[in-house]
Amino acid sequence: MSETKIVLSTIGPLVILAPIVFVSSLGIPSLLGRKLGERATGRLSFVTVTTGLIAAVTVLVGMLLDGTRHGVMEFGEWVAIPGYHFHLQIVFDRLSIPFAILTYLLCGVISAFAFRYLHREPGFNRFFVFFAIFMLGMVSASLAGTIETLFVGWELVGLSSVMLVAFFQERPAPVRNALRLWVVYRWSDAALLLAAIVLHHRSGGEFHALLGDRPWPEGHPSVSAAWGGSVALLLIIAAAGKSALLPFSGWLPRAMEGPTPSSAIFYGALSVHLGAFLLLRVSPLLDSLPVFAALLVVWGLATAIHAALMARVQTDVKSALSFASLVQVGLIVAEIGLGFPYLALVHLLGNACFRTLQFLRAPSLLQDFRRLENAMGERLPRPDGPFPQASFGFRLWLYRWALERGYLDALLQTLIVEPFLAGVRTFDSWERRWTAFLSGRTAPTQPTTAAPEIEDIV
Amino acid sequence: MAPAQSRQKVEGIASPRESSREAIWKELAHVIEHAAHQLPAQGPIPVFIHHNTLHAFEDLPFTEAVEQASRLYGCEPYWTEERYRSELLRGRIRLADLEAVIFEDLGERANEKVVDRCSRLDLRLAMLQHPLRLGTPEELSWYVMETDALREIREEAPDAHRNRLIAETRRWVMRDLRPGASPSRKGAEGEDGPAWRTKMTDLIERFGSSTIEEWSEETWEAFTLQALWQVCLDGVGDLPATPDDSTPLIRHRDWLRWAGAPDADVLVHSVLIPFCAAFLDQGLSSWPLPNREEGFYASFCKLYAQPLGPPVSWRRGLAEELRRHMEERVGPLESIRQSLEDLGVEPAEWDEYLSATLLALRGWAGMLWFLENRPDRAVHPVPPGSLKEYVAVRFILDRWAVRWVAREHHGYGGPLAGLRDQLRATNPSRSVPSIASRAFQVFQLAPILGWTPEQLSRLSRREWHNLVGEIEAFHGVERRRLFHLAYERRFYTQVLDAITCHNRRERSRPSLPRCQALFCIDEREESLRRHVEEVASDVQTFGIAGFFFVPMYYRGWSDAHFVPLCPIVLKPKNWVVEQLQGDEQTQTRLQRKRQVWGRVTHQIHVGSRTFALGAIVSGLLGVSAVVPLIFQTLFPRWAGSIRGLLGRWFLRPPATRLQLERRAPSAGPHEGHIGFDVDEMTEMAERVLRDTGLTAGWARIVVILGHGSTSANNPHKSAYDCGACGGAEGGPNARALAQILNDPRVRERLAGRGLPIPPTTWFVGGMHNTASDTITWFDEEHLPSPIATEFEEIRQLFEQALARNAQERCRRFETASLTITPEEARKHVESRAEDLAQVRTELGHATNAILIVGRRERTRGLFLDRRAFLNSYDPTQDDAEGTILSRILQAALPVCAGINLEYYFSCVDNVGYGCGSKLPHNITSLLGVMDGAASDLRTGLPWQMIEIHEPVRLLCLVETEPAKLLRIIDRQPVLARLVRHGWVQLATLDPRSPALSIYRNGEFRPYIPTKDQLPTAPSSAAWYRGWRDHLEFATIAADLSGG
Repeated sequence: MSETKIVLSTIGPLVILAPIVFVSSLGIPSLLGRKLGERATGRLSFVTVTTGLIAAVTVLVGMLLDGTRHGVMEFGEWVAIPGYHFHLQIVFDRLSIPFAILTYLLCGVISAFAFRYLHREPGFNRFFVFFAIFMLGMVSASLAGTIETLFVGWELVGLSSVMLVAFFQERPAPVRNALRLWVVYRWSDAALLLAAIVLHHRSGGEFHALLGDRPWPEGHPSVSAAWGGSVALLLIIAAAGKSALLPFSGWLPRAMEGPTPSSAIFYGALSVHLGAFLLLRVSPLLDSLPVFAALLVVWGLATAIHAALMARVQTDVKSALSFASLVQVGLIVAEIGLGFPYLALVHLLGNACFRTLQFLRAPSLLQDFRRLENAMGERLPRPDGPFPQASFGFRLWLYRWALERGYLDALLQTLIVEPFLAGVRTFDSWERRWTAFLSGRTAPTQPTTAAPEIEDIV
Repeated sequence: MAPAQSRQKVEGIASPRESSREAIWKELAHVIEHAAHQLPAQGPIPVFIHHNTLHAFEDLPFTEAVEQASRLYGCEPYWTEERYRSELLRGRIRLADLEAVIFEDLGERANEKVVDRCSRLDLRLAMLQHPLRLGTPEELSWYVMETDALREIREEAPDAHRNRLIAETRRWVMRDLRPGASPSRKGAEGEDGPAWRTKMTDLIERFGSSTIEEWSEETWEAFTLQALWQVCLDGVGDLPATPDDSTPLIRHRDWLRWAGAPDADVLVHSVLIPFCAAFLDQGLSSWPLPNREEGFYASFCKLYAQPLGPPVSWRRGLAEELRRHMEERVGPLESIRQSLEDLGVEPAEWDEYLSATLLALRGWAGMLWFLENRPDRAVHPVPPGSLKEYVAVRFILDRWAVRWVAREHHGYGGPLAGLRDQLRATNPSRSVPSIASRAFQVFQLAPILGWTPEQLSRLSRREWHNLVGEIEAFHGVERRRLFHLAYERRFYTQVLDAITCHNRRERSRPSLPRCQALFCIDEREESLRRHVEEVASDVQTFGIAGFFFVPMYYRGWSDAHFVPLCPIVLKPKNWVVEQLQGDEQTQTRLQRKRQVWGRVTHQIHVGSRTFALGAIVSGLLGVSAVVPLIFQTLFPRWAGSIRGLLGRWFLRPPATRLQLERRAPSAGPHEGHIGFDVDEMTEMAERVLRDTGLTAGWARIVVILGHGSTSANNPHKSAYDCGACGGAEGGPNARALAQILNDPRVRERLAGRGLPIPPTTWFVGGMHNTASDTITWFDEEHLPSPIATEFEEIRQLFEQALARNAQERCRRFETASLTITPEEARKHVESRAEDLAQVRTELGHATNAILIVGRRERTRGLFLDRRAFLNSYDPTQDDAEGTILSRILQAALPVCAGINLEYYFSCVDNVGYGCGSKLPHNITSLLGVMDGAASDLRTGLPWQMIEIHEPVRLLCLVETEPAKLLRIIDRQPVLARLVRHGWVQLATLDPRSPALSIYRNGEFRPYIPTKDQLPTAPSSAAWYRGWRDHLEFATIAADLSGG
């Protein structure tokens, strides 16, 4: 036991320190206007990712040898006021370590890939800064022992994802799509934050206070159904936004605006699985609430069916891959609801690795198709689409529905965005009228935008 | 066209105004076809054919064409001024070149005086050398207030001018302007008027007239600038405005955007891009568009007329409209007519409006147009008339989007026909140069040219008018044109000087060559040829278009389909297949194994995107993807060799042979009709030998090398392959030619035509991989035994040359060290070719700039830095009419010019004419790439291909007499168009002397060299070591001593 503790206390911090070093030694010089060169960036990412990976694997081996299933490291209180505290804590268990290792593995591969892929690209430094932030976010979210720690990681992942979608900021489309992603992410952030507050009022932020002291995935939630239910619902909403479950699926294909490696790691592999990870983390709670578990199964399956249909009609390789990945995310969520956390974890790891490879190879599609045709000695078969027995009218309608991605964006726009904006604008106009009334003016004046006169220039 | 036409006919009979309607439809169809020629002509990307991006403008002179096209497409005609100016700073453009091109441009007018002693040449040179800031009044006001523009004289101004400016102003103030001073020049005051004088007095007051004697140097400087600014403002104040030449607003969407509303095209494209992609899809999606066979318009109407559409507010009512179209049987042309009527577009405006509408999504529209005209280029071609149907659909969407934007963001609910007039009426007129910006131009130029405020204050109104006119006549595009001419001029001078100097040296053809080698004319082969010649001075090389005049449809043993291997302008008449040797059983077993492998891989590919199979694949096998992931990204070269090993083990490459000979009288793709007959073979062989001039002095081994390129993860792969083979690998052509020339019957017939080939001579075909610098040799097992041992030596020689070639290429790759050895360089380029993450496997045709048609002796040993296409031609073997030269130029010049001009345009405007950075590219419909999630189909070359390119027009140097060349050009309209309109530059090299002539304005003039010495180096490596940038030309001396 003591040996594991020693391993934990010496090697353990490296798992989280490595990405912190990565972010700060890349980010601080950039802020000071002294960007690191390409080679230095490459070396830095290699060293930090390898350190983190080796540390994570050592911890895993140490715990396996020792038979420990739950290790905790305290980083103290972030904020502590009477009756309230924000607590930083990381946890090593059967969920966090595989996820952290996956993160390091894929980040390592992607950073090696991007180092060459983005060679001479003007935004090279920017890419790696956000990439480092992303890695820090992923690692801290996966190791989080309290909901606050998880929230920090969650936010970093969201921020860096959005900035990388908008990587080509000189064109309007990436910026537009990044903004959309940002709005969905904020929505899910809000849900997670609410969940954190609810959790705090009940039991403090630690997961074990919520889920019981037994190591993951066992646990005995000690909260009442009402409390637990409200937390679970909020967490499911948070996960739905992050993992592009219904009705938020629209952002996933739109996120394919950045350079290929960022699309691969964010939307094929890691950040799209973060929602599922959150649900896995609280799976003991969900297990104790059959209604929510059932809800999750339905939700996940609906997403998977939706995405499978969308994937059929996509005509560009990145959108097709993103929906293909989403099918599996939906299934993983359903597996969590069914109470198979290990199955879900393996499925998640497999999907992440497989999609990363597929995404990285996306530009090879033409050559791959040709190779396949040559091997088969004929044109590739072109199936006739799903439901061949159904009536033509229904299939035509279904095709349009799929081509327009299930109307999800339009529905969100009309049912949520527009009423929300209308409401805010109404309040705004009331406020204007009220201030005008108070200040004795009749109507708000518009600032003049006349061109300056020549005399102004002199 | 069939369904569309029949619909229109039905409607035509029903309509009482039948004849007028039909006339309108005809006219509309004509206008659309006319506008369609402006669309990008790039076909599906799996076969990338280089062509002049502005092919549609070739009837215009080059400079006029690029400027016209830049207005039409909203693209750049040349590089930016800053770019050229930085080239000026680093010495790539010299001042002397600028002066020379200004003189050439203006002639006598260059020396005319503009202001006082300043000539037009001085003015233009100053404007070229120093950036002139332009801007809106707001920007200028910011600039003047926030910078030191009115406090410190710009630092580029020469010191002498600066001091004189201050001193003269000081004298002027003390003498004429100070309160109480008596003006010494009465005449001046009379002209200027008292208003102007008052302002100056006010200015002096503001600086403190009482302490004027104690003003510091800085104060005087600031005062000078303020006075100058005041004088300039006064001078330009009442000059007439110049006409507005900014791009006109045409479409409703343009007007709305200008009025500040959001872009209506974003809405339209959100529907149109997915639909175009689905309509054109060649098999990427696993659910094809329903009703696709009925055409663009009908399938769109049927799809979007359905009930229960998405709740999108701008599309409200669209389904009803489409239903009406279908019920009333409105054809696409009638629909366009109705849309134009609704939009209020008069027939006089049709041309302009339709062309702007088509160009709004030019990539997709261009692909529709391409595929409807070249159905042979796609698996699923589109029906004729698709572009018209596209326009009809686009207009319907345009109307809906514009109407919605106008209502929501502009509060306009009236008819669309009145929208543009309404916007025109309610918005202020578009910008003309404001007084401030005009004054600011003079103000910026004054310190550089030494114009003092006093001097300027004495200019009359007419003189001011002239001055401003002069400055405005030399506007941005004009300046860039001259910069560009100077940029090219410097390069042409270097080339022509190098050729002259190099040819002054003595040299002779090796008396008994050990080996002769035929290469493609491709400029990437220049360095390999040079290295081969350096490694062995008794090797002779030749250049010829890389399909080696064996045009064919070819199918390799492992290919599913025939591909054409010849330039795009030719249509092959023969089919050739590669056949497996060995017994039938092994053959079928191998084929079956491949088929099973293909089916399984395909199932995984498709299945991984579905529900159940996807779960199994990703859940069970998913984690194992880590292995290829790590290997392919971290150890690409190992991964490549492991894959090769596995492939060999599983699908052992069998011995193969080309089936070249046909016995049946007619050629065709089926068994028995494959191949050429002996006469056709003899014909092709003779053409190659006569064109290259390889007719005597045979070596025992003649190598024929085609070329191709491998790159992983590269949608633009085909653009790196052999252009003469239609964007495919040229190995089979080389192999076929070798087999033909080894055929004793062909040799017999050739001897009969006066081309005896000694029986001891043997031809060997091969393919040079320009990415990994390796050569695959063909049919080695058929070499006769004495030749086989000799060939082993030749192979070693080529290996050595390849390593050196790899080293020379590596100097351009920043990720390769400058001290890399040839062997390391080969490993480096091999790993590049296998690397998934490598976006610059090789640099393609970048830096291409020269085409040399002539004997290799004239350029042998000249370091041409991989910039020259080299086509062999022996003028001593040609007739007086230049029959051989004529056919060589007909084939080579348009192809090389196409490559060169495609690079030019993708380079000067990579976002507009090229396809931008490769990083966000997303393969769509198996036809091309989009930027990110959804965008127009991107045409042209990616940034990574043109990054190191120098945009100069091709310099074509022909070894012949000028008069002969002129006659050839006159006879060939294609050449005449390119040459006379300046799309290529032409020069001749005298076959008997080093004299050069250069083509200008329809005639050849002798070229006067500016240098008489060319640097020499002992070897190519000695010359290029340590340099990344473009290199000067040099004579490589090793070759001379050997030869």
